[in-house]
This record gives sequence, C-alpha cells and structure tokens, in this order.
Amino acid sequence: MKRALLATTLCALPMAAAAEGELNLYVWSDSIDPALIAKFEAEAGVKVNVDGYNSNEDLLTKLQAGASGYDIVTPSQHFLKIMADQGLLEDIDAHALAAFQQVDPKWRGQWWDEANDYSIPLAYGTAGFTVNRNHYKGPVDSWKVLFEPEADLQGKIAMLSYPDEIIGAAQLYLGVPFCSEDPAEMKRVYDLLAAQKPFVAAYTSDNIENRIAGGEVAAHFWWDGNSMKIRFNDNAPIEYAMPKEGLVGWLDSMVVPKGAPNVENAKKFIDFMSRIENATAQYNFYGHSAPVAIDTATAKYTAENAPELFPTVKVEFSRSCSPAAQDLVTKVWTQLLQ
Amino acid sequence: MRLRDFRLWGLAPAWAIMALTLILPIGIVLLVSLATRGAYGGFDWGLSFDSYAKILFEEDWDGNLAFTPQYLLIIGRTLWLATLTTLICAALALPAAYTIAQAPGRWKPVLIYLVTLPFWVSMIVRVYAWIIILGNDGVIEKTLRGLGLVTDIGSLLFTDGAMLVGLVYSYIPLMILPVFASIEKLDGSLIEASHDLYGSRWVTARRVILPLSLPGVMAGAVLVFVPCLGAVLEPILLGGGKTMLMGNLIQTQFGGGRNWPFGAAIAVTLMVLVMIFLMLNALRARKGAAHG
Repeated sequence: MKRALLATTLCALPMAAAAEGELNLYVWSDSIDPALIAKFEAEAGVKVNVDGYNSNEDLLTKLQAGASGYDIVTPSQHFLKIMADQGLLEDIDAHALAAFQQVDPKWRGQWWDEANDYSIPLAYGTAGFTVNRNHYKGPVDSWKVLFEPEADLQGKIAMLSYPDEIIGAAQLYLGVPFCSEDPAEMKRVYDLLAAQKPFVAAYTSDNIENRIAGGEVAAHFWWDGNSMKIRFNDNAPIEYAMPKEGLVGWLDSMVVPKGAPNVENAKKFIDFMSRIENATAQYNFYGHSAPVAIDTATAKYTAENAPELFPTVKVEFSRSCSPAAQDLVTKVWTQLLQ
Repeated sequence: MRLRDFRLWGLAPAWAIMALTLILPIGIVLLVSLATRGAYGGFDWGLSFDSYAKILFEEDWDGNLAFTPQYLLIIGRTLWLATLTTLICAALALPAAYTIAQAPGRWKPVLIYLVTLPFWVSMIVRVYAWIIILGNDGVIEKTLRGLGLVTDIGSLLFTDGAMLVGLVYSYIPLMILPVFASIEKLDGSLIEASHDLYGSRWVTARRVILPLSLPGVMAGAVLVFVPCLGAVLEPILLGGGKTMLMGNLIQTQFGGGRNWPFGAAIAVTLMVLVMIFLMLNALRARKGAAHG
C-alpha cells in the first residue's frame, strides 16, 4: 500500500509542476492498473495518489471517521448501500456521466443505487474457494468439501480473517437467508463453523497466493479472479470450486465520498476508466469481470480460458444487513474465535 | 521571577503536545465508550454503560441475557501471552545484555547497533520473515530434513508457539537495551568481592548480578508487556488468527462488528489494565528503593 503510494508519487514527480490538481484514490489493494494511472496522469495533467485497503469494513470505518481526503473509493454493493444511506457519498449524478452509457444495462438501477446517483461499477465477481490439485484430488462441487472436510483436507484449510463473505457462504450451504435476524438460524451457522474450526489451519486474508499455490494449505476461501490469475499467469495447479449451493457475489463501484476535495477530477477519472479501451486494459490487469463494455477482441480472459469468471452455479449477492442481523454475524465470529 | 515565568511558559509546548496527543485522544475513546452505537457503525453521543456491561453480560442464542465468559477469556489469554513473552524476553535478555556489557569497549557499540538493527525494518516485513522460516518447507523444516533428523515435522506455522516466537522476537530489543544499561553500570568490584568470598559463578550471578540488574529488567518488562497487550499482527500472521487477542477483538468491533462504543470500552479496559500494571510496577520500585 505504502509502496504503491510511493511508486505513484515518484512517477508523478516530474510532471507535478504541470499538474492541474490532484486525485486521491482509496481502492482495493493492487486493483487498478498502474499503467492506466500513468496514462490518466499524462492525459488529464492530474497527480494521482493511490492508497489501498483489504476489506470493506476498513473503508467504511475510515469514511465514518470523516474527512478522509479521498476522491474515489470502491466499496462492494452492500457497503455502498450503507454509505449512501448514511449520507457518506457525494451525489455525482452518475447517470449523466459518459461512463454510465458504458455500463451493462443489467447493472443499472440496482438496489444499492436505484437512481444511479452515486456509482459507476468497476468490477464484479464471486467469493468461493480454491483447491490445490497437487494436494487434493477430490470433488469440488459443494461447500460441504470446505465446511465439513474429509480426512484429506482436515488441517489444510484456510479461511479469510473477516466474517463478511465466509458467513454468507455458510448461509448458502445451510440454506439460511443472508442477513438472517433469527438467532436459531444463526446458531446453525455458528455450529457449522465451530465444527469446521479444528480442521482450519488459519483464518487470514494476507498472502493468499503463496499459501494456496505453494501448498501450505490445500483449500482456501478466495475470490474468482485472484484464483484465475495465478492459474492463468503462473500455471498454479489450482481449481476454483463451483459449489452447487451457489457462490457469494460482489460488485465494486467507483463512488465519491462526501466532501471529496477533487470531485471534478474524480468524475473525469470515472469516465476515463469506463472508456472501452481503458476498461479492457483494466479487465486484463485485474482479472475480475467487467460490468462495463469491453473490447472482446483484445480481452485476455474468455469463457474458454478463464471459466472461473463465468460461474455455472447461482450467484447470490451479499446484502446490507440490519444492525440486528449484523450483531448475530459478529456474535458468530467472536464466539468462533473467542 | 522571570526565570520562574519561563519555567511555566517554557514548558507550554510540551504540555500542549501532551494534551493534544495523549489526553485528548484518551478522552475521546472514553467518551465513545460511553456513547450509544450507530446502526451502521459510528456512534451517537450519550451516557450509557451498556458497552461495559456487554463485556460481562450478553444475550445468548436464545435471547436471554447471560454471563458470557468469552471476552474475559480473550482478556485473560492476552494477559497470559504478554506475561509469557515478557518472561522469555527477560530470560534471554539477561545473558545477552551481560555478554554485551563484558565485550571489549570497541565492540560494544557494534553489538548494541546489531540489537537495534531489526527496528530499521518494517514490523510487517520482520513478521513475514518468520512465515518463511516456520512455514511448510520453510528454513527450519528444510534444515532439519537436510540433517536427516526428521522426515515430517508437521506445521510449525499457525500455532500459539509461532505467535510467541514472533512476539518475543519483535520486542526483545526493548528488554536487552535497559538491562544492558543497568548491567553496564554494575560495579565490577562487587563481582570480584563475591568471588573473593568463595561465591561460585552461579551464586554470583544469582545473588549479585541479577538483583543489581533488576531495575533494567523491570523497565524492560514495561516496554515489552505493554505493547504485547495490543499486538495484532503476530496473532493473525503467525498464530493463524484462530484465537483472538484484545487487539483483534477491538479491531473486529470497529470494523465488521460496527459497534464502536463496545470497541472503545474494550480499549479502555485494556488501558486500565496497563495502568494497573504500571502502578504496581512503580509501587514495587518505590518499595525497593526504600529498602535499598
């Protein structure tokens, strides 16, 4: 994160004199193509600072603390909804931006931004699990493989270090609705995770690539595009599961925090990122599905060579939970790790 | 008169810094811990002790308010781990500091420099180094297998032992330096006297060197114990995040839990524990001085 910031700053130094302003991005770590940042800086004469985060919770906490100084952040749908409801976002009339014309119609007017006031989507995908085929040969057609592991996976499983998507996955497996406010249902989720815990090597969200590709663990809770990229680029012997109970869906959008210092530059950047050639470059860099139009002729990943991005099972998007439901989620998690 | 005035306003910058960076933030944390939680994180000003009650009593799965030991368990585990780390650090630091103190004059600065060297590297990088050392097929496993000692030692990483190694490694320089300072001041003739009186090496170490280096050990204990209570990195990266410590618990409450007042209440509890520890320590030191 700091390194990215430093690199960007160093790149930007020679042209700082010509800069017409600044743009401060706070985005998922390593999510934006650095070549596109450089291109935007040259084109718009704007100095771009990039900072990274690793969880929606970090982002929400930072925005709630106020005066973050960021111009663009990229929350997932369920957090975007909370931010909009809490008045943490700038109404940028997203539907009037050129970028909006590039958005795939199926992602317009969704529940997290019904009037398309705040957001232009950047990427979408799923959360599921990946197995290392050198260490695990069995089937990957159900969450049962991960949550109720057989002997060959016991002690060789890693989960993420925050509850958000893990509890969603457990709910899919048990048939419990997302954001359930029923303690009895959530107790079942807890029981499932507590029974799984002795077989979990670690709950961690850092350094996942090395852990699963290197075989430190044989199964890892993970995201579609990340899993695809190390298989595609580094030939890692891994497979992203398609559990029949479904995958947890997410969609990250570019939004402008309330009181952002450089709103106009932010809009420029959103339009820039959504231009077809740039959206394609971003897709090729990030490896997660693009919710805006891309040039299929130059797109690196297709249904044939990147099946991870084209799920064959149902995808259920995380929702914004009520405080009561969120308390149950926290309760499950705290009791699990007490 | 003028000089006295200067003494007053001359210290003003120091007081201002203390007030702005120490007292104000602590005051804010205290106020937040008494506030009521916002529905989606954040908080509303107020005066409520619910967050403190929640540390002991919480609704169970059936919705009844019941005594919950889970937070006490996390607090207890944190205290235990911090104590253990401090003891191990002290045990390792004493001989290390003694060796440095006995080294020839021109070597001393070099050795001290080596002790402080890890601080030049980011904490995260140092903890990651241990992942490489302890991990599957890591440095330790490869070495042991190369020597033909073991075939499969299982995972060293993601255990409480790994977490402890990480904590001791991270904080031991903070123990060595004060212990070194007090051993270096130690009067060599006392050791000679002990030998003259037929004190063996062991007796000399136990009855002369150890008591005289105790002030350094106590200072080091504060420097190691206190940051250990708030450790967040080692439990996640080396311990595997399977059990929470107070630092992780606070982080969870501010992040995913969206319950800032409760997070603040745990932070205040942690702070009070630290203060009790420091006060006991000061009391001991004063008693020691009185007896000495």
